[in-house]
Amino acid sequence: MQRNRPPSPQTVNVLRALAADPARWRYGYDLVTEVGLKSGSLYPILVRLADRGLLDTSWEPGVGSRPRRHLYRLSEAGREFVAALTAARVERTHLKLNSRWNEA
Amino acid sequence: MGGLFFAPMLALIGVLIAWYRRDPRRFLDGPAHDAPLRLMRWATGLLSAERAEWGQAMLGELGYIEGRVRRMRFALGCVGAALVLPPWGRAAAGLWTLVALGAGGVGLYAALIVQYGLGAGAWIGVSILAVFVAGSLLGAGALVRRPGTALPGLVGGLVIALVFLTLTGFTFFDQILPDTSGWHHLVQTIVVPFLVGAAATVWTRDLIAGKRVARLAAITASLGLFVYATLAVTVIGSSGPLEEDGGFTLQGTISDRVGNNMVQLGYTLLLFAVVGWGGAAAAGRLLRRTPPAVPPAADPVPPQGA
Repeated sequence: MQRNRPPSPQTVNVLRALAADPARWRYGYDLVTEVGLKSGSLYPILVRLADRGLLDTSWEPGVGSRPRRHLYRLSEAGREFVAALTAARVERTHLKLNSRWNEA
Repeated sequence: MGGLFFAPMLALIGVLIAWYRRDPRRFLDGPAHDAPLRLMRWATGLLSAERAEWGQAMLGELGYIEGRVRRMRFALGCVGAALVLPPWGRAAAGLWTLVALGAGGVGLYAALIVQYGLGAGAWIGVSILAVFVAGSLLGAGALVRRPGTALPGLVGGLVIALVFLTLTGFTFFDQILPDTSGWHHLVQTIVVPFLVGAAATVWTRDLIAGKRVARLAAITASLGLFVYATLAVTVIGSSGPLEEDGGFTLQGTISDRVGNNMVQLGYTLLLFAVVGWGGAAAAGRLLRRTPPAVPPAADPVPPQGA
């Protein structure tokens, strides 16, 4: 059964980093340095996102003797998910501001 | 008694020397096969078949990271991820069994400390025990994820533990002061673990798998025996037979008994693992020498005059 828990702050950070330029393929290590996560945290997040269909993955051929490299970008569903997250966040902020305004 | 501690240490040193001699380049890091890469290869081998692509992704990424420290940091993170990344399949049941044993042993020890007010020294002891058990479970977690290791390892451990208890006696008093002789020790600590290791290699027809099963059996058996012995102390407290070197107070007696159990845990784990490893290796040698049970291929060169 698929659980619909809200994403962790780390997952949201990864999604935002990918959503900054959704068409661009990204390397795992680039995400590690950009988001400031350890590889041990990033890869389980990427696996979960890919399992939920929010991530497209691809392989880049190896260069010389170096191995092929895995690439990641948001899928269409992933972009919609990030848009929904952002909308929900904006709505929460509005609600907070409204309640503070009413209290004041 | 001193020899019983000295022998496994010598055996362990012997195993390490044999391991080093098998491939002297093992500890010489080259740019293509450095420690982070070897570590990652080991860890990604733990992943289930459906996660193998992610293992390749981590390995591929490592190939583009420069600098020893950065490579090692990246590899260690990936090792952590590979150790916990689901799905575990049936291996999860094996690990949860061992986690229950480990948590049971540490929990019983902590309960004894509270019940008898054993003091700060005992809390240090239980902390050391917790770290030791956690390390053992981490090793067991890596072993149970290898194909064909979990069930034979757990069954092998059960066999070792049952033979051990059969010879010492199953009653709780027997756990405090076992009435055993020299040949009992030989069978409990050498013969049975050796046979389990050898049987694992013969059963799996694979030396590496046999060694893994032997190690898992050692962890299972030693944790199981520890829990049983600690349960004995919990139930009978300071009553029962008096040890020669037992404490003179209630707390002293309890502390001495759980301390003995902790020593037995470390001692049996090391000995079972080393002896089982030896049994698996010996059976592997015999298997290599034994010709395969298939009919020889026809001679491609026809005999003269045929």
